[in-house]
Amino acid sequence: MYKSLIELDLREEAEVVAFNGSSLMNRRLEGMGIRQGKKISRISSQYIRGPVIISVDGHQAAMGRGMATKLIVKPAERNGV
Amino acid sequence: MRVLLMGNPNVGKSAIFSRLTGSHVVVSNYAGTTVEYTRGFLQLEERELEVIDVPGTYDLEPTNRAEAVASEMIAGGELIINVVDASHLERSLHLTLQLLLTGKPVVVALNMWDEAQKAGITIDTARLEQLLGVPVVPTCALTGDGMVVLKSRVQEARSSSLVSENGASLWQKAAEISQKVQKAPERASTFRDKLDHTTVHPVLGPVFALFVLLVSFGFVAYFGNFLHEMLEGVFELLWLPVAAWISGLMGGAGMLHDILIGTLIDGEIHFEESFGLLTTGLYIPLAVVLPYIFSFYLVLSILEDIGYLPRLGVVVDALMQRLGIHGLSIVPMMLGIGCNVPGVMAGRMLETRKERFIVGTLIAIAVPCMAQQAMVIGLLGQAGLSGLAIVYGTLFVLWMVMGAIMNRFLKGESPEMLIDLPPYRMPYWESLWKKIYMRMNGFIRSALPYVLLGVFIVNLFYTLGVIGYISQVFAPVITGLFGLPGEAGGALIVGFLRKDVAVGMLAPLGMELNQLIVASVVLMVYFPCIATFVVLFKELGVRDLLKLTLIMILVVVITGGGLHLLLQATGF
Repeated sequence: MYKSLIELDLREEAEVVAFNGSSLMNRRLEGMGIRQGKKISRISSQYIRGPVIISVDGHQAAMGRGMATKLIVKPAERNGV
Repeated sequence: MRVLLMGNPNVGKSAIFSRLTGSHVVVSNYAGTTVEYTRGFLQLEERELEVIDVPGTYDLEPTNRAEAVASEMIAGGELIINVVDASHLERSLHLTLQLLLTGKPVVVALNMWDEAQKAGITIDTARLEQLLGVPVVPTCALTGDGMVVLKSRVQEARSSSLVSENGASLWQKAAEISQKVQKAPERASTFRDKLDHTTVHPVLGPVFALFVLLVSFGFVAYFGNFLHEMLEGVFELLWLPVAAWISGLMGGAGMLHDILIGTLIDGEIHFEESFGLLTTGLYIPLAVVLPYIFSFYLVLSILEDIGYLPRLGVVVDALMQRLGIHGLSIVPMMLGIGCNVPGVMAGRMLETRKERFIVGTLIAIAVPCMAQQAMVIGLLGQAGLSGLAIVYGTLFVLWMVMGAIMNRFLKGESPEMLIDLPPYRMPYWESLWKKIYMRMNGFIRSALPYVLLGVFIVNLFYTLGVIGYISQVFAPVITGLFGLPGEAGGALIVGFLRKDVAVGMLAPLGMELNQLIVASVVLMVYFPCIATFVVLFKELGVRDLLKLTLIMILVVVITGGGLHLLLQATGF
């Protein structure tokens, strides 16, 4: 049911559940509006282990792949599936 | 009274600062433009308030050095103007609440009001004012809207009666308040979004980046050269007769003549080679370097204000991770291409000592400043593009190899990138020109005296025979290792003061193309100019600077010697 952000399909809507990283990083994420309960989606990923582009709360941000694997999200229920 | 201007990164604090104080600071469309605080004064009726532009922060507990500056400053402030991004209300309010809890009087500037309106966001400011318990003023700092009201309401700043709850609930509180006062529509896809998707697309993104970089540098080279030829014409037409007249007055020879006018070449003044204060000393900074600096800052400032640089950071991140730094380090690198000093300073936006060391070292060794490049382009460009291609190719390889090696052997962390991608904006021309003007002004003020001093010292050295002495002492390295004429040793000494003057000293030596290439690379790689050196010392500390210096000496010997042998072997 829960996934990491990196496992999310492109443009699949999800909700932030938790971040399994350092508290410092967690604070930085929170500062940028990436925190529990926020709607989040992955817009694109760069190749060769480059960063992931996300959309959260109407704005966009880029985060490293490692960070994205530690960000646990809950995909929204899809209608009719 | 001391007023602090505080807020999240990239919400327009510096723009508000300029509007309040009338002093000029650099404003860009990405987080972290202000890494050091700037101070100005605001005249309010009878009183003069000291206003401080504090680096942006998300949190009063710092997560990097620029944020550390912000949280240290708080103790010394008596009043806070909290700049809030109206288009990102909730997360801005999180900091607002923290600021209110310090108990200091606060006034909130609801900035980027126009941006919020464009996005269809409406905010009930009266309600927000009531909920926060402090004055709230909608502003648009770029155009200046709302600034008069903000100034008049600074005196109404007061401490809020909001009481401290536990830390975790600050976010809930921020969310609650923003839900109460703000109406935001679902966003529809716009042209801006499409452009956005293209520029960070996994395939199209790098293609677009390459295109942007090629066009940018092509423009700098051609437009710079165009301006240079124009100014050269102006110099020949207007200044040459004056300089010739002065030369004639002094009888065309003598020590004073040598210092002011320099050596006459076939009885005439030669702006590139005479090397007097009034000839080459003015010609290099004003007619050669300035045109390229202007072209470069024009392009860089447009890229900055549009908001492309963070996207470029995303695209190059995978590459730069191999060098032990994340993609956003491209910003210090790009600034370094203009002048190494602000480049090294911008390294502060990085979190760890390892990253800052790598960025500082790469800039100091492998990123030549525009002043130096302008001279090298002039020196090598006449012989076609092949020489320039070798010089830039060598630097690029050095940049990659050194980064990779440092990443492999230096201890410490290289965190991943985490950045906001600010919306693309049309540059606001008034502030764009102001920024270019400031950067040009900075160049003229800081460079011109050093160039003149450099030229003066060159003359002094020649007169005293120092250059000849240096040439002899360093001959094994300069001639033996690099294959250069002994006199080039003088350029290496002067290069410590100003690299552009040093490159200028190579012109009269009559070197072959392969020698010019080696000399240019050696000059670009070895010791950065004194101004950069001082900043490196401030940013990295003594130990890391010594380490950097050792790396540099090693690199210059290997690269210079290797290039010399390689060019000789290939019969270039």
